[in-house]
Amino acid sequence: MAVVTISFGVVGPAHAQGTPRQPDVQHGAVIAAQGTAAGAPACAQCHAFNGGSDGSGAFPRIAGQSTSYLTQQMSDFISGVRTNAIMSPIAKALSPEDIADVAAYYAGINAPFPPLARASAALIQRGEQLTKVGSAAKNVQACDNCHGPGGIGIPPAIPYLAGQYAQYIAFELKMWQRGYRRNSPEVMFMIATKLDDQDIAALAAYYQQVPASDQTTASK
Amino acid sequence: MAQRLKPVDVVTVGVGLTGSLTALELAKTGLKVVGIERGAPRYTVPDFQSPAIHDELRFSIRKGMMQDNVKEAVTFRNTSDQTALPIRRWASFLPGTGLGGSFVHWNGQSFRFQVADFIYKTHIEQRYGKKFLEACGPELTIQDWGVTYAELEPHYDRFEYLCGVSGKAGNINGQIQPGGNPFEAPRTREYPTPPMKEPYFGALFRKGATDLGYHPYPQPSANLSQPYINPEGLTLQQCVFCGFCERYACEHYAKASPQTIILPVLLKNPNYELRTNCQVLRVNLDSTGKKATGVTYVDAAGSEYEQPADLVLITAFPLNNVRMLLLSGIGKPYDPKTGEGVVGRNYTYQTVGGPTVFMDESINVNPFMASGANGTMIDDFGGDNFDHSQLGFIGGQYVGAIMTNGRPIEFHPTPPGTPKWGLGWKQAVARHYNHTVLIQQHGTSTASRLNYLDLDPTYKDAWGQPLLRMTFDFPDNDIRMSQYIADKVVEIGRAMGGKTVVRGGTKRPYSTTVYQSTHNCGGALMGDDPKTSVVNRYLQCWDAPNVFVIGGSAFPQNGSYNYSVTIGALTYWALDAIKNLYLKAPGPLVQA
Repeated sequence: MAVVTISFGVVGPAHAQGTPRQPDVQHGAVIAAQGTAAGAPACAQCHAFNGGSDGSGAFPRIAGQSTSYLTQQMSDFISGVRTNAIMSPIAKALSPEDIADVAAYYAGINAPFPPLARASAALIQRGEQLTKVGSAAKNVQACDNCHGPGGIGIPPAIPYLAGQYAQYIAFELKMWQRGYRRNSPEVMFMIATKLDDQDIAALAAYYQQVPASDQTTASK
Repeated sequence: MAQRLKPVDVVTVGVGLTGSLTALELAKTGLKVVGIERGAPRYTVPDFQSPAIHDELRFSIRKGMMQDNVKEAVTFRNTSDQTALPIRRWASFLPGTGLGGSFVHWNGQSFRFQVADFIYKTHIEQRYGKKFLEACGPELTIQDWGVTYAELEPHYDRFEYLCGVSGKAGNINGQIQPGGNPFEAPRTREYPTPPMKEPYFGALFRKGATDLGYHPYPQPSANLSQPYINPEGLTLQQCVFCGFCERYACEHYAKASPQTIILPVLLKNPNYELRTNCQVLRVNLDSTGKKATGVTYVDAAGSEYEQPADLVLITAFPLNNVRMLLLSGIGKPYDPKTGEGVVGRNYTYQTVGGPTVFMDESINVNPFMASGANGTMIDDFGGDNFDHSQLGFIGGQYVGAIMTNGRPIEFHPTPPGTPKWGLGWKQAVARHYNHTVLIQQHGTSTASRLNYLDLDPTYKDAWGQPLLRMTFDFPDNDIRMSQYIADKVVEIGRAMGGKTVVRGGTKRPYSTTVYQSTHNCGGALMGDDPKTSVVNRYLQCWDAPNVFVIGGSAFPQNGSYNYSVTIGALTYWALDAIKNLYLKAPGPLVQA
């Protein structure tokens, strides 16, 4: 079984009064494993107990994604600016405290990356170019400008993409294009609409294999 | 021996803001235009992408985007009885180089000048009398521009819409608008995009300034608040507040620069040709000395070329515009002893420097979450917005909490008494980094007969040509002005809740070793009289009608505000005259 490390998020200096509620990571773990009495199913059914999900790419990897980002997505599923047939009802079944706890739980996990089939070298190379340099022809900047070098993320606001499942990245970019995801109309919507299917496949393939290629480099 | 190239209609010396804008407009009319740029070509993709573009050591400390002063420096002295020495490391001002020029590394602070600025001498004399100006300083040589605000308004409007400037109008056709700057010159419509979000330091300033009865407003910004498609069909993106505007290029397509608002269209125009890494040595004149025949330049391989052209547009950085005239022998150089001659006359700068406000530890400023122009400010002390009759000086400054970055190498505010290094310094930086607000005072620079630009008698550039020599110190008038406002701004700092407020204000002597402003103005100034100006009201040389000198070099003196948008408006103004008057009947547009 994977080693699960849990760390507590630091929420700024404690003040004499109005101390914000500290997330309860153990309660978050319970929700992840068992769901809630109010009817939310166990997160682990799809995202796995370590947040690495099942490797099919149908469900995103959420391990180590920032508490703030995960919480924001859940509230966006509730408000409807992000819609998903599975996640929207689940988000609505969770209380704000439940969401804070389970987000803090998954944010604290350092889960391993499962071995996955690699896309063609040419596709990965095209993806690397887009993510590191952008496209002058399309007026698209490098993804790494916001998502960090190699897509490691710039928490708390910007999610990591390194090691994210290609199928999920591609799916979400199409959700932006088609208006099902509207929680970054000024940035991600604008960029997604400039990308074609080939661009999307390339950058998704590149980001998925980043952790694997890092390990290869390290072992040399 | 220079190789003579095929003649073209127009050549621009420099391809920054004014060089690309003029080229675009003239190439559209069918003229063959060649742009000659001394620096390298560079584009948002691939050259401005992160993480390399956020290299603070390379760009902020080592001035990676600036004129290479190993090849081409400026010599400096405070007064004409001193010997000028070359500035070997840029600090006070930062002339850019490379495609896009200084309009790539600017901060995006996007102001119009005020109505009175363009008729400055007339206005001051009418309001306070001729003796008042004399009493402020007999050396002062302010003058009118020869163009009025009303004439420039449509060109300001057009340039703001080219850039997509984010702001809130304060005065539309004379109607004061809530939320905007009530001192703003009247505009015909709103800004193209809404103002930037107000950061916490801006909100603190807004509260302090409001409590004292001043009129805070959001700083107009060319780093955009939302995506925008400009009239050339180019899309700008939303600023993400990364805090790397000044001294950097924008990787997000969010800052108006030639790369984002002009060049993609210009470079596709078959009438345009760009030549980079080419150093223009001089504008060539015919045997009469009154008509330009083109330019001579050296390419990166060291080969010399003569590019004949019917129309020569000098569109470099203001200092280099003046130097190009002096190197080419166009116009009579200014002589400070006699007051005669014009080229190099009325060199002016900017009076800057406000207080540092140290806040309580409960106030988290987050200075790294910043953009180049998202301040909150007041114009109550700008220009001639307040009564000077009992003050003994002319001019003014805008005041605002304008924090453009919290970058680790450059930003570590510490209060007086802090050790300069070691543990005590480190502890003070950790204590104050996130709890300090910088307030900017930024204002007029009054022209003086003592301040000017000429060619250095000793030092030469890499091509063997004399360097530009700058002789400059702030007139006493400007010191009195800045110090008067400094007292007022300390009160704002206290009203914001500052625990310690370290007073600002400009002091003498002017030093080139501390960054102040890259708003170098004048030296090829515009006006109605060839005895006191280099170019006429259309920026056309009095002494060579087929040469136009476009940029901040045309300012007779500097106003309160950052000058880029006024340069853009002047460029459109000059282009209007070139297209509608000059091209139909080449010759002087104003009779001397």
